[in-house]
Amino acid sequence: MVGRMLLHLFPQFFIAGITNGSIYSLIALGFCLIQNATGLVNFAQGDFVMIGAMMMITLCQVCHLPMPVAFVLATGTAAAIGLALEEGPIKHSRNRDILSLVMITIGASISFRGTAVLIWGKNAHILPPLGGETPIVFFNTAILPQSLWILGLSLLILALLYLFFQRTLTGKAMRAAADNPFGAALIGISVRRVVAMAFGLSGALGAMAGILITPITTMSYDAGLMLGLKGFAAAILGGYGSVLGAVVGGLTLGVLEALGAGYISSASKDAFAFLILLSILFVKPSGLFGQSGVRRL
Amino acid sequence: MTRSVPFLPKDWQALLLLATVLGLLPCAVRNDYFLLLFNIMALNALVVLGLNLLIGSTGQVSLGHAAFYGMGAYLSAIASTTLQWPLAASLAFALILVGATSLLLALPTLRLEGHYLVMATLGFNIIVSILLGHFEEITGGPSGFPGIPKLHFGSLVLNTDRRFYYFIWTIFLVALALTINLTDSRIGRALKSIHEKELSAQALGIPSHRYKVTTFVLSALYAALAGFCYAHYVTFISPKTFDIFYSVQIVTMVVVGGLGSIWGGLAGVALLTALPEALRHFEDLYELSYGLILTIVLVFCRQGLVPTLLSVARFWIRGKRKYNGTGSTPTRAPVAGSSERVSISSGNAAAMAGIPVAGVPLSDPALLAVKDVSMSFGGLQALQEVSLEVHPGEIVALIGPNGAGKTTLLNIISGLLRPEAGGILMRDTELTGLPPHQIAARGIGRTFQATQIYLHLNVLENALLGFHVHGRSGFLCAYLHTFGERREEEDFRGRAMSLLDRFRMSDKAPSSTQQLCLLEHKLLELARAMALSPRVLLLDEPVGGLNPRESETLVETIAGLRRDGLGVILVEHDMNVVMSLADRVVVLHHGSRIASGTPREVQNDSGVIAAYLGKKRRG
Repeated sequence: MVGRMLLHLFPQFFIAGITNGSIYSLIALGFCLIQNATGLVNFAQGDFVMIGAMMMITLCQVCHLPMPVAFVLATGTAAAIGLALEEGPIKHSRNRDILSLVMITIGASISFRGTAVLIWGKNAHILPPLGGETPIVFFNTAILPQSLWILGLSLLILALLYLFFQRTLTGKAMRAAADNPFGAALIGISVRRVVAMAFGLSGALGAMAGILITPITTMSYDAGLMLGLKGFAAAILGGYGSVLGAVVGGLTLGVLEALGAGYISSASKDAFAFLILLSILFVKPSGLFGQSGVRRL
Repeated sequence: MTRSVPFLPKDWQALLLLATVLGLLPCAVRNDYFLLLFNIMALNALVVLGLNLLIGSTGQVSLGHAAFYGMGAYLSAIASTTLQWPLAASLAFALILVGATSLLLALPTLRLEGHYLVMATLGFNIIVSILLGHFEEITGGPSGFPGIPKLHFGSLVLNTDRRFYYFIWTIFLVALALTINLTDSRIGRALKSIHEKELSAQALGIPSHRYKVTTFVLSALYAALAGFCYAHYVTFISPKTFDIFYSVQIVTMVVVGGLGSIWGGLAGVALLTALPEALRHFEDLYELSYGLILTIVLVFCRQGLVPTLLSVARFWIRGKRKYNGTGSTPTRAPVAGSSERVSISSGNAAAMAGIPVAGVPLSDPALLAVKDVSMSFGGLQALQEVSLEVHPGEIVALIGPNGAGKTTLLNIISGLLRPEAGGILMRDTELTGLPPHQIAARGIGRTFQATQIYLHLNVLENALLGFHVHGRSGFLCAYLHTFGERREEEDFRGRAMSLLDRFRMSDKAPSSTQQLCLLEHKLLELARAMALSPRVLLLDEPVGGLNPRESETLVETIAGLRRDGLGVILVEHDMNVVMSLADRVVVLHHGSRIASGTPREVQNDSGVIAAYLGKKRRG
């Protein structure tokens, strides 16, 4: 009886997992872009998510702008902040070793949090869900319209990214520079511009993830840390630096987390992402789609 | 010289001065509130010390030290309050559990290159925070854990700030002295080399993964010890103290003091522990100010804030007079009677290999045998069933056009790559599949195409790294500078000096490797490889980039090594060098062995000529 009940809930958990998972995919993609362009782990990725969501909230509820306009503006702000992080501290740092650059992003992340707490306070903020709050019942499974929006919009973003990287010259240049920066520079691609663009795009991706998830989970100044960590776990799960891996890793992480929360313990939901991260590092550090790199001297 | 004195750290004068100042301070301070500040400072300093040790050796940063600090505090609180255990048992309980946890965390994460450790420790910190709040019946939840007993030794209870002050600073000074000892030892040198160039450290026989994991666990234990002291000092703890922000504060202190700099870290702690006092009325600015300090110091100061300020101050005091760096005059003359030592140490290799030094017949069993080794990278077949033998006292040259697989073969022999098929035998022991450091310890030394000299170590220390495999004293002896450890160190220093002398570099021993020319880099790398007392030496393009005269010097040196009964595999493009040195030549082309024989035979081989010059088409 209990078993049937639990099995019965499976589609519900699955939908919840896919919904969160597509958010994690977007965040993981941000990590992936910066990793490929610079080899850095960008700690501020989660804060882009928070900034995007907070900007959206302010623009909608304080400035009363229409949703689409606010969406574009909030995404643009986060992209600009990403750009500023690269053009400012990272580009001009006198310490060029990776560790220092990674720690600069930690410093930036804490600074963003510190600024956010001054602007938006310590309370959690909320956005109204898109398409109302009445769930659509579909084969005994209740689906919030917001979930459908999240799934649809993430798919759209992924499709646009795909077209950008496969079909446009700029996208191809970015791929080339990620593959071999020196070679790219030799054929006239500005690697600097590519790096800046990667930071801008990551900011935008993070912001969109934040805007989409806020109606479900609310948003506060310190939520970026956890979301960033989950995006990172998703990226590792898929294979760090692999675009396909980021997407699949995000969805897998979301589903595993939802099942864990549903069947084991909802209170330790946040611990699952971390356990998955550690077990992946233990068992298969190259992730699902990553190549184990050849070490060179 | 202070070096040979056991138990005494190198910077003992500075330590003594610090201890005196700290000891006299409470007499000058009437207000106990300042002592509280100094006590917190000591706790922070202990955590920072541990983190600096980690950064200095692995080049990785942990954002999880707040969690280890918190675990130390909570575990000891639970053991001593809930379970009513004595303090010593509580401390042991906390240290053991923290040690085990950090080991579990470090084992998978430190195996990887890249910056996974930062994220894994960050995640760990978050999880610990969640769990501390979650298990209310054990930890007291978000409202905290009250009623922890004060520290006491028999009837002496450390119930005032003043008493705790003396206790905690004593603990810190002892930890500081021990840590300085560790960095000034065989282990400390190895840790520095891992930070700078990990792969070549492995080729010198240094078990880098084990050392990195050990250092991580040690650094977590420093934090746990600080957590224990903290819990029994304030007697009330809550999860808020140990959240991720404390980890960031600790990292900021490390950065301000200069990454990996033990004394700088102390200054960073002093500055930043006082910061909350300065910002007492602006609590909301805490995070922002830490974030900005961290970012700005990293962006603008090459070595941390404190060292930068010091060098600016020095510049002002000395005016525009140019600051003199370390002079190149040796502080110590070459060891007397070094020639005797050379013959002993150079005889070592032959003695270990158990072979007569000169006149070795080639019918002897091979010293090293490469058997049918195959290797491919993706679609590229880099090596195809290549076999090769080296006999004692023989120089085998491995030649072939670029991309023939020569360096790949050397990397396989030294364990940096694992072959897909085939195996490596040394006498009768199987070397295939062993990690690089064990292969080095079994007597395979090597040099690299691009010289792998440690720029942060001086010439003598570079040579000393080669002796690492002969050392027996581990972390504990290094911490304590025991009699045995100091004797071993003295012995290695003597041997390293005579080795440098043999390579005519003893006058350069105390100078920085950045002042050396390429030939000296190559000689030093060769000397370092010889320090392993290898039976087989792998030389990857030793004369590449040298002018003819320098090249001649190096060829003479290599020819001298043959007399020691070493087997040498030489990868070289310069045919003059190959012809003058090699006893046998093996030619690789597209990963296959196409010829082998004496230099003369190979020179006239039609296949070799075709590989190098192309085939002549007959019309």
